[in-house]
Amino acid sequence: MYGTPIEPIADTQSDATKLAAFEARIARGEKIEPGDWMPDEYRRQLIRMISQHAHSEIVGMLPEGAFITRAPSLRRKQILLAKVQDEAGHGQYLYHAAETLGATREDMIEALLSGKAKYSSIFNYPTLSWADMGSIGWLVDGAAILNQSMLAKCSYGPYARAMIRICAEENFHKRQGQDIVMTLANGTPDQKAMMQDSLNRWWWPTLMMFGPHDSDSPNSGVLMRWGIKTRTNDELRQMFVNQMVPDLQALGLTIPDADLRFDEVSDNWMTGKIDWDEFWRVVKGDGPCNAERMEARRKAHVDGQWVREALAAYAANDKQVET
Amino acid sequence: MTDTQWPRFIVFQQAKVDAPHQYAGSVHAPDAEMALMNARDVFVRRPTCVSLWVVPSTAVFSRTAEELAEKPLSDESNEAGMAAPQNYIIFQKATHKVGYNYTGKVNASTPSQALAMAFETFTQRSSRAWWVFPEQLMTRSTSEDIEALFAPALSKDFRDQAFYHTVAAMQQIKTRSQDNSTDES
Repeated sequence: MYGTPIEPIADTQSDATKLAAFEARIARGEKIEPGDWMPDEYRRQLIRMISQHAHSEIVGMLPEGAFITRAPSLRRKQILLAKVQDEAGHGQYLYHAAETLGATREDMIEALLSGKAKYSSIFNYPTLSWADMGSIGWLVDGAAILNQSMLAKCSYGPYARAMIRICAEENFHKRQGQDIVMTLANGTPDQKAMMQDSLNRWWWPTLMMFGPHDSDSPNSGVLMRWGIKTRTNDELRQMFVNQMVPDLQALGLTIPDADLRFDEVSDNWMTGKIDWDEFWRVVKGDGPCNAERMEARRKAHVDGQWVREALAAYAANDKQVET
Repeated sequence: MTDTQWPRFIVFQQAKVDAPHQYAGSVHAPDAEMALMNARDVFVRRPTCVSLWVVPSTAVFSRTAEELAEKPLSDESNEAGMAAPQNYIIFQKATHKVGYNYTGKVNASTPSQALAMAFETFTQRSSRAWWVFPEQLMTRSTSEDIEALFAPALSKDFRDQAFYHTVAAMQQIKTRSQDNSTDES
């Protein structure tokens, strides 16, 4: 992930004692809970990560939401609808987890709508065909599950529990995506070409989802020391590549990487060079759909205003009647 | 009107009729009725729920084992005053690994008195943390709500990963392509 690295500083003797006790708890594998003492930097890093994660779930509804009306069958439409609904729910679980650390819902929503907050760069790419529903489900959600399975073991209790719930539900997302990819890859020549085109567009952005190389990832040290992350970006990315390459190739699809090769010594699939310039461009707001995604979020917020006002007025009225 | 995200309600979910209500998370809502609706949308998209409880987060009296070690409940009991007794609901978090589960209710004048009474009867001293709140501030789904709130999730079997046989199918494809390449060589 991205941000400025700050080393933990214990400014008083009692903080030093508390920090030692806190780190000992983490070393014992205990979960840190909302009322417990924690370093400010632990709280800050968690709020940053969890709220970014929540925003990603919310913005993540948009690329797939665009295809609900264009699903090829009623069953596929039901599945996609259910999946997008899940993402909304995941955003809610995560906002709740961030609230247990003292972040307010108002501040987080404001940070998203003002463009101050970041979310996963993957959702700034466009969905152009039905095959992209397969790529997002199998590749993007598959990549997310690897990251989330790690976070399900993290030291902060509410985040870990939200992740356990989310992973269980994400497995449905991954499977339905795999089902779409397999159906298209075994379909007509046109369907197969559509699937290949989709893979060509999503493969590299999915590899970027894991974040910069370990050597360029400033927060990793402190996140690993406090048991928030237990695997590095590069480790997770390698797991993903090793998982995906044999399956995609078995389906007769071609990975869009001329340098891809299997390394007998390490037993790993080695990819070519990732275009980090593209990654940073998209993170910093200049991806294909950044403006469109933010516009859609703001519009949804404004369009929903009268509903929120009506419900608040009803609740206020009800209270008056009671008293 | 200021555009806020409304008050927060704590949500408890019951997976089976004979299981205790468990802490699920929280939702924001203008009132308890909407909190129940939101809780259903956020936490019950799968058939794993028969009952929901919601309570405003501001109504919850919370104590951890560490807090009680520093300030025992006996120090608080003189705060009881003249408040009329009412039913309090008690949740406890038994270990580091589990969440808050319903343990029972007691009739008391204050939350701290309720917790002290719970310790005497059914709540374990060894637990990590407790939540106490007045039963009358809690809103629960009723048996009439079951059909509308929870039944729709039952037919959505496609939300379960077991609905998709992709892993076995993938295995077959791989085996077949291996067989083919052996035939060719």
